Amino acid sequence: MEFEERVRAGILESFVETGAAPSPATIAKRLGAAERAVRGAWGRLREGRAIVTGEDGISIRMANPFSGVPTGHTFESAGVRYFANCAWDALGIPAALGRGGVVRSRCANSGEPLRLEVAGTGPEPCDWLFHSLVPAARWWEDVVFT
Amino acid sequence: MLFFRSEDDLRSWCRKHGAEPGPAVPVPQLWRLSQVWYGDRLDPEAPRPTPAEARAIFAGVGLTGPFWDPVARQE
Repeated sequence: MEFEERVRAGILESFVETGAAPSPATIAKRLGAAERAVRGAWGRLREGRAIVTGEDGISIRMANPFSGVPTGHTFESAGVRYFANCAWDALGIPAALGRGGVVRSRCANSGEPLRLEVAGTGPEPCDWLFHSLVPAARWWEDVVFT
Repeated sequence: MLFFRSEDDLRSWCRKHGAEPGPAVPVPQLWRLSQVWYGDRLDPEAPRPTPAEARAIFAGVGLTGPFWDPVARQE
């Protein structure tokens, strides 16, 4: 496995374990690698859209389906609360983890809360709708807005 | 990318924001998409889908047309 892939794997594993975004120092320690090398990989992962960072270029805003900042879409499982980047990722997290839990979100129009039990086999019956304002070809023009 | 309780809520929200509604996706269909899109995301050697693969993934769960085409030109 290339070093960059090991860094990406470390980032995702850290999210899985804690629900929070790791720093380059955390990943360097995890991999037994130099922080400078991890920071280099960080930049390449950002360019390859594997992560989206904040204005400092370091703090992880997104490592899909995980969000590095609090949002209104969460998934709770095994005592860990995960923030999702959007409604889709709120289901993307249990799909990635392969385990059950509870999705929480709200109707964007009315504010009505959504509490959705998700088993390993999928969500309970639910007639809510998902909607993307932005077409797929333009998702990465402003991925935070998307 | 947001959740809505109903079609009425979706249309109301779009009116308030002066936006044209896009396709509404039921939760079961979104789950099928999530399974295919994110099911192997924690595998460090799993490649991210190319635009052609993404188009095929969307089509495989019934999401077709220009809106779901990653390389489509939008008017």
